[in-house]
Amino acid sequence: MNQLGSPESGYESRIRTNMVRLLYWNGAWVGTCALMAFGPKVLWDRALLLTLLAVGLNVGVGVGMLLANKKYVQELDELQRKVYLNALATTVGVGLIASVPISVMSGYHVIPFKADMAYLVMLMALTFLVSMLHGTRRYR
Amino acid sequence: MKNRLKVLRAERDWTQAQLADALDVSRQTINAIETGKFDPSLPLAFRAARLFDLRIEEIFHDENGPSLATEIKK
Repeated sequence: MNQLGSPESGYESRIRTNMVRLLYWNGAWVGTCALMAFGPKVLWDRALLLTLLAVGLNVGVGVGMLLANKKYVQELDELQRKVYLNALATTVGVGLIASVPISVMSGYHVIPFKADMAYLVMLMALTFLVSMLHGTRRYR
Repeated sequence: MKNRLKVLRAERDWTQAQLADALDVSRQTINAIETGKFDPSLPLAFRAARLFDLRIEEIFHDENGPSLATEIKK
């Protein structure tokens, strides 16, 4: 039997490390979003300097998250990158298709709630998750 | 595109995970190639050929028969 390297040594462990790094950056970004949203009211009584610092921190961590995501995608293999790209295309499409009608309907008070950016983010996150699961199952 | 990856791997008694590691891809990718659900890129096909010490056409075959050039030569 020709021996090859351990399955834990190469690609899989590298991707796992990148995924954990991305998870930390995502968590930090969500944390800074919460800080930016609730800090001015709850923690520092709308002090402008602290609010600006919270915004700066959010943007900085956001850039870190973006770079971590970029590294993660660059190191995916060709099949996983294809699954990721398909999920991303579906997500952008759904986001674009959904955003305009919801905005118009909200403007004419057809829907009982205000078209908020947060709804669109949630819809896109769910679409991406479902698309990734579908793509992964397809090539299993 | 058909391929002999599964046979070649079995001949060497390698697992999908070991082959995936040697080709620097996921085990899912090896499985998808073996079951014909995914066609590898040319660089990955070359890496597989180098690993098995074979030519690409000895591993991967075009299901659509002979090339257009062969047809023209006839």
